[in-house]
Amino acid sequence: MTKTVTLTIDDQQVTVPEGTLIVNAAKMVGIDIPVFCYHPKMEPVGMCRQCLVEVGRPAIDRATGQPVLEDGKPKIQFGPKLETACTTPVSEGMVVLTHSEKARAAQKEILEFLLTSHPLDCPVCDKGGECPLQNLTLAYGPAESRFLYSEKHHAEKHVPLGDKIWLDRERCIQCGRCIRFQEIIAGDPVLSFYQRGRDTDIITHSDPPFDSIFSGNTTDICPVGALTTADFRFGARPWEMKAAASICSLCPVGCNLTFNTRREAKAGGKVVIKRAMPRQNEQVNEIWICDRGRFNWHYVEDPSRLTHPLVKKDGKLEKASWSAAIEAAGNQVKGNQVLVVASGRLSNEDLFNLKQLADGLGGEALLYDSLPGGELTTRYGVSAGTNLGDLGAGSAILVAAADLYHEAPIWYLRVKAAAERGANLVIVNPEATRLDKYAKKLVRCGKDEAAAKVRELAAELTAAENLVVFFGRTADRNLAEDCAALLQGREGRANNGLIGVWPRANDQGAWELGYKPVDPSTGSGQALAQAVKGKVVYLAAADPAGDDPQLAEALKGAKAVIVQELFPTKTASLADVVFPAQAFTERDGSYTSGERRVQRFYPATPPLGESRADFAIAAAVAAAAGLEVEGRSALLVMDKLAAAVPAFVGISYRKLAEVTEQWPIVGRGDLYYGGTTYENRQGLGVQLNVSTFKRSNVVRGRAL
Amino acid sequence: MSLAEEYPEQIQKIFAKYPPDRKQSAVMPLLHLAQLGKGFVDRHDLVEIADLCGITETDVAEIVGFYTLYHDKPEGKLRIQVCTDIACALRGADEFLAQLCERLGIRPGETTPDGLVMVEAVMCLAACDKAPMFQVQGPDGISYHENMTVEKTLEFIETARKEVK
Ligand code: SF4
Ligand code: SF4
Ligand code: FES
Ligand code: FES
Repeated sequence: MTKTVTLTIDDQQVTVPEGTLIVNAAKMVGIDIPVFCYHPKMEPVGMCRQCLVEVGRPAIDRATGQPVLEDGKPKIQFGPKLETACTTPVSEGMVVLTHSEKARAAQKEILEFLLTSHPLDCPVCDKGGECPLQNLTLAYGPAESRFLYSEKHHAEKHVPLGDKIWLDRERCIQCGRCIRFQEIIAGDPVLSFYQRGRDTDIITHSDPPFDSIFSGNTTDICPVGALTTADFRFGARPWEMKAAASICSLCPVGCNLTFNTRREAKAGGKVVIKRAMPRQNEQVNEIWICDRGRFNWHYVEDPSRLTHPLVKKDGKLEKASWSAAIEAAGNQVKGNQVLVVASGRLSNEDLFNLKQLADGLGGEALLYDSLPGGELTTRYGVSAGTNLGDLGAGSAILVAAADLYHEAPIWYLRVKAAAERGANLVIVNPEATRLDKYAKKLVRCGKDEAAAKVRELAAELTAAENLVVFFGRTADRNLAEDCAALLQGREGRANNGLIGVWPRANDQGAWELGYKPVDPSTGSGQALAQAVKGKVVYLAAADPAGDDPQLAEALKGAKAVIVQELFPTKTASLADVVFPAQAFTERDGSYTSGERRVQRFYPATPPLGESRADFAIAAAVAAAAGLEVEGRSALLVMDKLAAAVPAFVGISYRKLAEVTEQWPIVGRGDLYYGGTTYENRQGLGVQLNVSTFKRSNVVRGRAL
Repeated sequence: MSLAEEYPEQIQKIFAKYPPDRKQSAVMPLLHLAQLGKGFVDRHDLVEIADLCGITETDVAEIVGFYTLYHDKPEGKLRIQVCTDIACALRGADEFLAQLCERLGIRPGETTPDGLVMVEAVMCLAACDKAPMFQVQGPDGISYHENMTVEKTLEFIETARKEVK
């Protein structure tokens, strides 16, 4: 057990682990000490001096080494100078005054100094309304400045640091958070200070400029409006926007997001998304998201989206009513074996209902995806209690055939941090990746040798107490199996298991629900082309015809084609019936992340046109074909799903919405502490257990 | 010409001073090397020094920005850096700087039209008792000039003018 220390902060007794910084100890009991440069995710640097407090310690008698007593109590000796709460660790018997006259005076003066070189253009500043400098000035600052207005520091106001981030040099208060984030957390030191004192500027010399995939996070932790995103700049005021909890749909990490929306004249009075922000989930994305998650959601508002059902008449797709379209689709599927081909872009509920449709009609449900090994992850995958943030010394991490930086950026951050905490990181990959510099061992080899190399590493890797294995994009069946074999005997143990770096957010969900790969050995289009011949093919969120002309040809040989889609894809153009689906931002649902965490997303905007949720469409078609499939709400579908799929036992929407307090405390009134990331009030999700069917040689008949 | 081509031996000597896993320590002497002759560090030098030291170009630029001894723009061949910090100010450094600039027909921070002299104010140079004082950064390195008057400074510039050209 870690030793604890008891101290007094503003008359409150606090007991915290030894080594805790004063600023954090105060935070734990709800006392806010103003900070600018300190950030709870980074080591303190003590640069801004905003956090000055009075610190007293028990006086010690030099002769006896005993505390000096005064009226029977230890005498507290206050130092002549104030101390920075962000760099000073607590000690036994310490007395901290955060709001004494002396402390307040110093905090006020620091703000007065900061404001001498700040433009105070809050009315046109994106940060206005959620700005630490603004908030702290109101709470602690002076109403007037003793400095000469004409001597204010002026600097460039519109400096693009790269394509995504703009810098306003005048607003920067030189806290260094952005620089430290890039250097320490992202491992991509592309920002720096230039010059000194009042002339200090943020610069980048990287080429291309500031192209880090994590760059957007610097705008969250920048305590002023110095860093803003090209995407949201001048887009809306923070107080005009509503917040909707969501899950990023772009990769299997499953980062927790908040969409900010508002009704907008520019959009004809419609509610639109203005920006995506990270939402805290310390077990998934902590308080970060990558730039893809932050910026690449615009497709949901693309004007080319499908808005109403289409039915083929005389060889041409024509607008139809929902009832006509459902009836048409029902007629096609009824009495036929239906081949469902769906992608991991869909939610658990969608995939479950589509599979019900296939199963009910004696058909098959395939996942439109080309990575092998899905069913291995349902067995050897990580399970409840796993947190990459717990891995460190004594753990081993293997990354095989994957480039986490590009394919699942937040996993890169988390694995890098684990390696820095001492985890034994081993990478087996054909090309160099950004993660390489944190690896203890690098094996550069082609696809054919990878499996053998992993076998060679087995003794070393399995010696570790905890072992997490990622396999990805270029893995073949053999490699996937050899990765799984490493985990034999660790099934169900927290912080151990296999993670597929799938191309889509909910591929894991599809595997858990029993979807079959298109082709178990290669996943190639060949197999799919064979499979569709003469069948009624039901495609959801998959565009094989657009991806491969061969498949477009093959689909023409299908008996009928039914499509649920967001966009008028090539595949949709070949369909007999096309249903407009809702985007994940317009409805609720859940995804299962690569770490097998089931997480809920909530609607942010009203649905587009007549679109409906995929699970509801599938249920309606099933009903028309005489099947009974729940389609009234995502919540009810999840209840059915949890009852039917063993891995999901006990999961319900209520359970998924549960939260426990997380550290650091972020997103409340205290934006200066953690940044503008959102607090998680809508659910941390639930990690699946490994399915309990008997342990057998799922891994190909090798002596394991 | 790259630094490696121009100063192969010096570079080797510099790196010999530091352990191989501490290559970044060589950044300061390398910057001095790059500044020899032309008086400033250009973009190519930044890239090359970053490569040599195994750090990013941004890191090298930060160091150039931090120290008043490094420059990233071509300015006067002689850079006269007058200390105007508190102790020197008490001995008339501000006045000295103002008069010197007036005589040269430039403002602090500017270069004379012939490109010879650049005058700027800097922080304490640790010669506080000998103000007015300045240091000169020129092709031959750095020299200190203490207990100066404007006349003496102009004389110094005239002498230097002949040598530098
Ligand atoms: S840009 Fe923002 S985060 Fe970066 S140093 Fe300036 S104030 Fe701090
Ligand atoms: S890491 Fe993946 S889930 Fe997270 S924000 Fe980026 S794309 Fe989205
Ligand atoms: S010095 Fe403590 S927050 Fe900046
Ligand atoms: S104050 Fe000028 S040299 Fe020290």
